[in-house]
Amino acid sequence: MPFFENGGVRIHYRDEGSGPPLLIIPGGGLNGSMGNMDETDFNPITEFSSEYRCISLDIRNGSGETTGPLDAERAWDQFTDDQLALLDHLGIGDFLLMGFCIGGPLNWNLMHRAPDRVKAAVMVHPSGYNPDDSDVFWKSNIGGWGKAVQDRNASVDQAQVEAFLTSMYYGRGDFLFTVDRDYVRNCETPVLMLPDDIPAHPFKTAMEWALLAPNSQISIFPWRGDPVRVQVALRHVSQFLAANKAAVG
Amino acid sequence: MPFYENGSVRIHYEERGSGTPILIMPGGGLNSSMNVLRNTSPFNPMEVFSDEFRCITLDIRNSLAGQSTGPVEVDRPWNAFADDQLGLLDHLGIDKFIAMGFCIGGPLSWNLMQRAPDRVMAAMLVQPSAGRPGPDNWFLDTYRESWAPEFHKKRPEVSAEDLDRYLLSLYSDNADFVFTVDRDFVRNCQTPILVMPDDIPAHPYAVAMETATLAPNAQATFFPWKEPDDLLQLALSHARAFLRANRG
Repeated sequence: MPFFENGGVRIHYRDEGSGPPLLIIPGGGLNGSMGNMDETDFNPITEFSSEYRCISLDIRNGSGETTGPLDAERAWDQFTDDQLALLDHLGIGDFLLMGFCIGGPLNWNLMHRAPDRVKAAVMVHPSGYNPDDSDVFWKSNIGGWGKAVQDRNASVDQAQVEAFLTSMYYGRGDFLFTVDRDYVRNCETPVLMLPDDIPAHPFKTAMEWALLAPNSQISIFPWRGDPVRVQVALRHVSQFLAANKAAVG
Repeated sequence: MPFYENGSVRIHYEERGSGTPILIMPGGGLNSSMNVLRNTSPFNPMEVFSDEFRCITLDIRNSLAGQSTGPVEVDRPWNAFADDQLGLLDHLGIDKFIAMGFCIGGPLSWNLMQRAPDRVMAAMLVQPSAGRPGPDNWFLDTYRESWAPEFHKKRPEVSAEDLDRYLLSLYSDNADFVFTVDRDFVRNCQTPILVMPDDIPAHPYAVAMETATLAPNAQATFFPWKEPDDLLQLALSHARAFLRANRG
């Protein structure tokens, strides 16, 4: 699989299929990687590469092969920088978007940063602030990802890890981490949300933004863990992508 | 409002809007009538979708709450309803259409997909009625107790025995499912379907979701969806996207 070198960042990515571009952000939180796509409820590249040009990438400093600085000042934005730089590198202007887990807040950040390029977005079991478990991301990352990233990169120390997590999950820690309610309320981009209900994928927050966004849809729920229900939800996703692909220039 | 006459059958119907035709079958069981769409339906599709579709609705034959009348076809009740629906569409010069059935419109939509598979472009099943597993038959019990005596009072020429046979014809087959077709039919039905489930005794959630998971080209909305209004609007966005995707 190819790499794209962007300054000090080395991005491991996939570019498969043809048709309107679909940027896929794999799940797994900060430890996300394209490898997770085979272990979740459906593999988006398998599902959609027959009709879409599927672009995906390992998240910077996750369990995959994308590496670069850990920039606490631009915690969420550094991931968005990587995604937009990769699309530029591939000559892609407009695109459709599908984000799993951490891809929920990242989808919103892309819509915020590149409102004219994102024509529609699917959020699959999105993460978000959990008012009933407000430290869930700190607790789940400080030991696991935080240690792993120091093992992988000797120049990263514990203080950097803590500063990065603080910026990620407490900087704007009351909703989606990346955008506020006013942004969602005024965002006309079509969005489709496939809900989940675990501490890192809070149902309450996902439903709140789905109800706020003026052009949103939600899938059946529950759908995870049941292959037949996954197929029912996927037909909704296919219909949603097909309805919006004409907007991709 | 206009009537369509076919021999001894007289069907009260209404049309609104232009575009791909949607045949809207209101809820209310055997008392299905277009009044239900205006009064107790979670949304009125004649208002919601007539901005971009040709919406056609009708009172079901012999509804006690409507104005459509005709013989009580004791041995072929479901097909008599389908005759009326397809006859009305023929009368209006409509070949292909989208079926949208509320409540009893669920079984009616399945019957149309069986009778006219090439004409039904897609079907939307809203709070569809169905039987459920077990010895109790909500429909037989309820209609024997309330609808049949009331109907007999209004139309004494139809005997109580015939009305009971009529109810048995309606609700004995596939009584743990959707009455008009069996699971094999649903499993092989390629028509695009959107199920908007409900969860009351006459509209069992489990059967609605069973059809959505059996049918190879089916979707279902988030549940619950009827209220509050912002949740209803989300479900209607899904419904509109489904109708647009299948309007041909």
